[in-house]
Amino acid sequence: MVLARVKGTVVATHKSPSMEGLKLLLLEKIDPVTLKGKGDFVVGIDSVGANAGEIVFYVTGSSARMTDTTKGKPSDATIIAIVDAIEKDGTLTYDKAAAVQRPATGVAE
Amino acid sequence: MNIARVRGTVVATRRSDKVDGARFLLVEECDQRGAGRNEYLVALDMIGADRGQLVLLTQGSSCRWTFRTDDRPMDTLAVAIVDQIDERGVVTYAGQG
Repeated sequence: MVLARVKGTVVATHKSPSMEGLKLLLLEKIDPVTLKGKGDFVVGIDSVGANAGEIVFYVTGSSARMTDTTKGKPSDATIIAIVDAIEKDGTLTYDKAAAVQRPATGVAE
Repeated sequence: MNIARVRGTVVATRRSDKVDGARFLLVEECDQRGAGRNEYLVALDMIGADRGQLVLLTQGSSCRWTFRTDDRPMDTLAVAIVDQIDERGVVTYAGQG
C-alpha cells in the first residue's frame, strides 16, 4: 500500500457507466518521514470517506477492486484507509490528532 | 518478492479492508545487503515483524492467497522475516539471532 495525501477532487461527467457514483480524489504520494509531497500524483477512488488534507494509503492493481465500493468497478487505485499516525524508528512523524489541534504548525501544506 | 526493512508502524482506524486485527508496518525497500532505497510502503504484517528486521514482501494479487486476506483489498504483505542472504557464497546480510 502507498502513502499519499489527498490534495483535491477530480470531476468527470463523461465516463463509463460503471464509473457512476464513484468519488475520485487527487492524491500526491508523500515521504513518510518529512510528510512532503513527492510531486507524483495519482487519481484514486475513495472507499473510506477521505477529505482534502488527510493522509491515506491506497491499493493498486486488482486489489483495488476488492472493496465494497469498487467491487466490479474498473478501479486500479482505491483508498482503503485514513491514517491516524505514522511511527518511524520510535518517533511519531505524523499524528493526525496533533495536526488538527495545531493547524498553523500542522502538516497541512 | 522484494526485500524491505521494517522502519515503523502506520495506524489507521478508518478502513475499508475488513481485515481483523490488522497491524500495518512502515517498510523501506532495500537492496540485497539491506541498504535502504528511501522508498517506503505500507505492508500488512503477517508474521509479527519488529522494527529493524528485514522482511520479504509479497505484492499485487498474490497478496490475496492467504486466509486473512482472501478477497480483501490488500496489495502489500510482509510474509517472512529474513535470517540471512548470501550472494555468490558471501553472506551479504545476517539478522540477529
